[in-house]
Amino acid sequence: MRRYLLLAASIFLLLGLLIAAWQENRHPKPIALTPTLTGQVEYCLTCHSDLAQISNSHPVNTFGCVICHGGEPLALDANLAHSTLRGGKNPSDFSVVQASCGGSNCHSGTVESYNNHIQRATTSIQATYAGAIAIMRYTYGAQSSLAALFGVNAVQDIQSTSGITSLQAFDPAAETNPQLQLFGQNCLTCHLSAQPIQTGGRYDHFTGCAACHTPTQSADLVSVDTTTATQVHKLTTAISYTQCDTCHNRGNYDLRTMTFQPRTDLVANRLQDYYQPIAQFTQCEYTLDCIDCHTRTEAMGDGSLYGSKLDIQYIQCTTCHGTLTELPQTRALTDPNDLAFRLALLNPVVDLKLGDTILVTGKGEPLWNTRVLPDGTYQLVGKATGQVFSFNPVMGSACTQNGVDQSSDYCHTCHSVQR
Amino acid sequence: MPEISRRDFLKLASQGFIALSGLFGLGMLLRFLGYQTEPPPPTDFDLGPASNYASGSRTLRPEIPAVVIRTSNEFTALSLVCTHLGCTVESKPEGFACPCHGSRFDLQGKVVRGPAVKPLNSLRTGITSDGILHVYTN
Repeated sequence: MRRYLLLAASIFLLLGLLIAAWQENRHPKPIALTPTLTGQVEYCLTCHSDLAQISNSHPVNTFGCVICHGGEPLALDANLAHSTLRGGKNPSDFSVVQASCGGSNCHSGTVESYNNHIQRATTSIQATYAGAIAIMRYTYGAQSSLAALFGVNAVQDIQSTSGITSLQAFDPAAETNPQLQLFGQNCLTCHLSAQPIQTGGRYDHFTGCAACHTPTQSADLVSVDTTTATQVHKLTTAISYTQCDTCHNRGNYDLRTMTFQPRTDLVANRLQDYYQPIAQFTQCEYTLDCIDCHTRTEAMGDGSLYGSKLDIQYIQCTTCHGTLTELPQTRALTDPNDLAFRLALLNPVVDLKLGDTILVTGKGEPLWNTRVLPDGTYQLVGKATGQVFSFNPVMGSACTQNGVDQSSDYCHTCHSVQR
Repeated sequence: MPEISRRDFLKLASQGFIALSGLFGLGMLLRFLGYQTEPPPPTDFDLGPASNYASGSRTLRPEIPAVVIRTSNEFTALSLVCTHLGCTVESKPEGFACPCHGSRFDLQGKVVRGPAVKPLNSLRTGITSDGILHVYTN
């Protein structure tokens, strides 16, 4: 009996060793990458060599994968390799963005303040939703003014220039009014930390930076591929209006039931897709993409907390067209370190040169995709489409608008498109 | 042919399996102990005969990456690794441009435009007794 047991044990030992060797050899031959930035070997390309480079500013040979995504760099087993990923497939989620995208050489605490994107984005009105929360609480009597007191998450701005130094985290459960509780449950679905919508549909988007900079949607409405919409590996500043639509035009809120009503019409027409009924808009507002006019500060904030979208969104028709008595503001590019050059580098739809004159906003932000032409007219290149548009100043035109009422609402009175 | 008893057969088989297991395990152990991590990147680049580089020439060597500059009486080499975040800069008529974040350097490697703040690194060069040019990155 003992000899049988010994034989069985020796067979099991050999079998065990063979199985261990087989398991070991099942792993693919590793493809090593040693990024210049870290100098540490990582094997991610063994499985992910088919992924497109995420952007020209983040070449894989320089950055590798792990510095942004986390994960186990030397693991060849998918589960182990992905076990310590930051933010799942989205390292820009605001819960992990500081570890993924932050750092003084990257996007937080940099010498160049224009590059402190994390502080700007996490305090932006798109992240805090402070204005909507304040309006709803004021409407239902939970606070006595429209002052911004709450954000989606608690956030501080100790160097506030807006007068708001902090926001408390909004807790719907702490509200006594049932409408506010419903608002918290059903209507806080658009901010940059909200649970991402990923159903393979037209309005899928990620959270954090990727909500805007990782295009899940094609600007080509006809051929939008919903099967791979959330599989993209791309960071871009050429953001089509369709990406903005994934939050800003994906439906409406029903304030009676305090629910979100998703948009159900599927239109293959830019005009219909851009604006829903009752909106007033001019031709350029749907021909251009949102980012052709609205600036990085409007979209991502300026690092300060604001209590309303109206406090940070300031671009008007006059920004580019001027008024009857004033031409739009311009700036000649004489400094090679002008921010306009950097922005144009990230999205090279225009070849800006020293000596070019561009339009600037009232706050001095460069509208780097515009140019003043020698004949006094202006040119704009679509940031997402590359289309070239020519336009004129109001001065010298037949416009009869008085000089006081210059907000875009007044322009819409005469120039809005009829559908 | 002598007959083998059941007892001897079992003994022989057990010993055979154990010996095979031992050999197999030893092989795996040797493989484990002999595992080579990725070799470190090279730091010494053989660039061929120095006489191949004309006086006044600037020669790109992407494998380093560097530009080798020969003046009338000496060789210098300028690293093409951007001092901002390590991307490889591109050679332009007026100097070097980083395609990642837009830094610009003049022909001597000095910063013309940020975000880089340090000039491109100069690399050590040497010529062997048989006239072969070497560039060292360490």
